[in-house]
Order: sequence, then structure tokens, then C-alpha cells
Amino acid sequence: MTLTSRKTPAKQTVARKRRDSIVVIIGLMVFLALLIHLRPAPRDLLPAEQQVVKTAKGHVCVHTLLENEVEEKKILRSLELVRELGAATIVQFFPWAYAETRAGHFSWGRFDRIVRHTKRQGLRIIARLGLVPDWLNAGETKTLNTLPEAAFPKFAEYAAAFAARYAGTVEQLIIWNEPNLSFEWGYQPVDPVRYVRLLQAAYPAIKGANPKAVVLAGALAPTLEPRGSEAGLNDLDFLRDMYAAGASEYFDALAIHSYGLREPATAEPASDKVNFRRAELLREIMLENGDGHKPVSITESGWNDHPRWIHAVRSSQRSAYTIEAFEYVQANWDWVEQLCIWALRYPADLRSYPDNYTLISAGFVKKPIYYALQDYARGWERSANLWLPPPEADP
Amino acid sequence: MKREDSKFSRAVMAAAILVSLAAVWRHYQPPNRDLAFPAGGIVIGVDASFPPFAFDNAGALEGLDIELGEAIAAEIGLPARFVNISYYGLYDALITGGVDLLIAALRVDQSRRNEVRFTQAYFDNGLVLVTAANGEPINVNALSGAALAYEYASGADSRIRAWEEEGHTIARLPYELPTHALDALRLGQVDAALVDAITLRLYAKERAEWEYSRQFVTREPYAIALRIDREDARKLVDRALAALKDRGELARIVQKWF
Repeated sequence: MTLTSRKTPAKQTVARKRRDSIVVIIGLMVFLALLIHLRPAPRDLLPAEQQVVKTAKGHVCVHTLLENEVEEKKILRSLELVRELGAATIVQFFPWAYAETRAGHFSWGRFDRIVRHTKRQGLRIIARLGLVPDWLNAGETKTLNTLPEAAFPKFAEYAAAFAARYAGTVEQLIIWNEPNLSFEWGYQPVDPVRYVRLLQAAYPAIKGANPKAVVLAGALAPTLEPRGSEAGLNDLDFLRDMYAAGASEYFDALAIHSYGLREPATAEPASDKVNFRRAELLREIMLENGDGHKPVSITESGWNDHPRWIHAVRSSQRSAYTIEAFEYVQANWDWVEQLCIWALRYPADLRSYPDNYTLISAGFVKKPIYYALQDYARGWERSANLWLPPPEADP
Repeated sequence: MKREDSKFSRAVMAAAILVSLAAVWRHYQPPNRDLAFPAGGIVIGVDASFPPFAFDNAGALEGLDIELGEAIAAEIGLPARFVNISYYGLYDALITGGVDLLIAALRVDQSRRNEVRFTQAYFDNGLVLVTAANGEPINVNALSGAALAYEYASGADSRIRAWEEEGHTIARLPYELPTHALDALRLGQVDAALVDAITLRLYAKERAEWEYSRQFVTREPYAIALRIDREDARKLVDRALAALKDRGELARIVQKWF
């Protein structure tokens, strides 16, 4: 018996072919690596010059939705349109789920791009933080707004990391969105006390990371839902309950959502109706709780001009009411710092009535409301009509 | 050794065939109603802010989506219960199991394909090019020179701009409302109007004497949404919808609301 064996010619041929194949594969890999290495660097879309917002109305602000934008040129174009509009501030969502894709591992590239472009356009950012990463609710059927209380410290860690990274650029942070709506609270019963515990976790963490950061609470949905409703709880009772739970210590400013629905901006507020001046009722609750020194930012507002949605107005009314709202804020609400219109643009049209809240279409077509707001913000004369008068039968 | 290999290969092949046959058999099995809707009823999410598909009439939900939901539930043989949810909460309600299905004038949305399955369409709200019944028919591919009325900043506006980018020269006539665009057509002031199908149906319903012709230039199918793991439920709903279509019941419901 021998330990060595001589290869037959056939086996030698197979071995040679195998060796040749390996050489070819390695060669191809080296070639591909060279191609990747030598490919032209992507064109930097950041404008070379620092831009400046020209505005006559510093309180004009719009809510952008750049977090889901894939193409950088669309982020750039969106922010150019904000600047050209004459809005100096944007509200922008920075989803936790996008930053912390693995537990303890943050990837900021997507946010860096938005912040870099916003800064270059001369715009300020109010950041909205929320959206739970998948890994926190692994294996369970939960929505991306389902945040177990045990994970509040994890959210606080994200908020602190965000505050530290963008200190000096992003100084205002909203904690969560519309926690008084069941579907924004993970499709579970809303709970003002638990929301305050979320604030309690996030506030010191953010302040520790950036002492200059302004923490905004609330961003409550304007709704009339009574106590015990499956859908949520009205914003007035929710805010009262927040104060009763000691919220005052854990926020510096209140974010308010103030939609006009079918009423003009000047319509009187009442606890049993949703309109623009409902914000005054929330302000009264702040005053009752000794928080009159804290400012307010209206981080969502506007009118909808869908032809069939029951809460919509006509396009001409939408323009008129929106400008009236800005004028009303300037004349009467010295406690409001920003009035932000929902929304500049959706990355893709939803093909339903929410599309009629935007200022420009997904395809970057400016809507009449954009021009009206631009005229106001820039202090220009109103543009000529953008549409024809209603047709009349020939006499 | 060779014989053992061969036996093993045959066993693997037989197992593969059996698994495939089982999958095919499962696929063609009729859906099980008790498994599809174990609670013994169908909970349907609707958005009652969108007439005539769904709206709140003094506390009672009404509209095309409601009537369609009732008809589908009756076809399946189960009672229906409707839950009114705002547009933004519809899909979350479906995904968390708050409702079994959504009938809410929802456009088929492929970006949700990882979580949601849609049935066949029950309505098409695409853009329609409308011309006078006795006028010259307009070919979508030969629009150059046509005077076209539409709603400013609408989907029709975007479509017309796209046609212009493709090289058509169109005399664009924007109006504040889509009904104004149809008025202009009815009064003979333009060659055609471009509006969505719902607008045309509602407009024409109020003007029974008006005659027009129309052709779809885009498609926007509305369908029923179910969670991706509710395959039996989707099959049942899809079959019920097909049966309603075959019997002309769906057309009757649509006709009633438009």
C-alpha cells in the first residue's frame, strides 16, 4: 500500500482546468475592484456658495419630508424651493429607525446629507424625532410607532446622540409626533402619563449632549376624541393630563399642530371644534400651569383643497386662509415663533386627499398656494391669477 | 456505493416532487372561511371622510365602500363591521390586526407589497380625456394643437406638462376647479378636458342631458387591501368581488353612487 498516488492524465486535465478557472475568477475580481476604485467620484451637489434666505416674514416655516428621498438632487431642489419661498425654517423628521439600524450602531450619512444641504441653503431646522427601529420589536406584529416603556432609555440615547452630532446646527428637537392619536402611539391606547415619562427620559439626555438644545413637547393632533375613545384623546385634555403628570419640567417649548379645516384663520376657537385658533386654547392651558414664559412653534398647519375630501376648502380659499393665518400670528400671537405649513412636498404623490396639503407636487410643480405664500413671505405684490375665470355661456 | 448514491438521489427527488405536489394542492384548495376570519365576522376599515366612497350620514356610515363591504361579507356569508379610520391610520390598523381588510378608495400601492396584498380593482380613477360626443375624437398620441382644459396644479396638469415634454404643443387652459374645465368643454369653448374619472362621473350625473365621449389616458385602480399573511382571506374576498362583478352587482353599486 502506498500513500502517494499518481494522477491519471484525465485527472491532470481536470485539475488544470480548475486552476485556470480560479485564475480567471481572481483576475475578474481584481479588474472589478479596479473599476470600482477608479470610477469617477459622484458629483457633489452641494452649492459652492453659502445661500441666504430673503424674507420679509421670519415666522414663515414649512414642514419638509426629505427623510425618504433617495436622490440628492431632489433634496437640493426641495430646499432651494423652501429658500426661494422665503421660509427661513423647516421642520424635518429624523426617524430613529433610519439612524440606529442595529442596536447601538448609528449610521448618520442620510441625515448628514439633509443637514448639510439645509445649512448651505441658509435654513434653520426644527427636528422631529420618532419611529422605532425594527430590532426593538423583533418577531412581533407592531407598528413603527410602538415603543415599549422599557425602551424609553434607548430612545433617549438616540435623541442624545442626535443632539450631540448636530449641536450648533439643529438646536430644536420635537419629541415624538401626535402622541394623543392611537395610531401614532403604536396603535395602542394613548397615555399622557407615559408620554411624560418619555419626555422625562429624553430631556436630561438631550440637555446633557447639548445644553443649548430646545426640547419641544406635544406636537399633539388637533382632535375632539373624548376620553375612552379607541382613536385617541383630544389635545386639550391630553395637555392638561401631561401637566398633571409633571410634564412642565421636561420641555422648553410646546409644538402645536393647528389646522384650519373648513374655517377661516380668524374663526373663533372652541373646545368642541377644530380650527386654526384652537392653538389659543392650548396656550391657555400653558398659562394656567405657569408656562407662559415658554414659546410655541406651530410645527404643522394649513388647509387642504382636495375637490372631494369633506374637510377641504377651495384652492382660492386655501390661499386666502393661509395668508390670513400668518398675518393673524404676527398681529396677535407674540408667543408663537414659527408657523410651519404641512407640507412642502411628498416624495411620491399618495393619490388621495393628503396630496392637497402640499405646496408643490411630487413632480416639483408649484401649486397656487406656493406662489401666494411666496408673495407674502418675500413681501411681493400678489401674482396675477394662475387660472382662468369660470367659463360662461356665450351670450 | 454507486447504488446507494442512486437510491439517495431518487429519495431526494421523490421528496421534492411530493413537496411540490403538496404546495400545488394547497394552492388550489378552496380557502377556509373559518381560518380566514376566525372571529366569525369581517372587520372592515373605511375612511368616512371621502364621499361618495364613505361618509358619515348623521352617525351612519354610507357610501360605495360601505355597500361594497356589505355585499362582499354577504357573499362570504359573514357579518360585516365597519371601523372608521383616518387615511393616515388605515394601514397601521390593518398591519396590527385592528381590521381584517381595508375598503377605503385605496389606490393599489406597490410600495406596500412587503406587508399588504391587494385584490383585483373595483374602481378606476384614472385620468380621462373627455370630448364632446359629436366632436372630432382626439388621439392621445396626436394632441398637438388641441385646446385642453384642466384643473390647475392637479394630476391632469402634471400629465399635460409631461406630454409637452414629449414634444406635443398643447394650448393649455387651466381652471381653478376641474368642473370648470368640464364646463368649458360642455359650452364648446375647448377641444377636450382632462379630468379624473370620479370628477367626470359626478359631473355627468348632474347633467343627464350632456353627451360626451371619454378615453382613459392613465389607470388608477382602487382595490381592497389585506395583510400579506391573510392569504385565505384575500382569496375569499377576491372571489366574492369577482362574483359581484359577474352578476353585475358591482356595476349596480357604482352606478348608485355616481
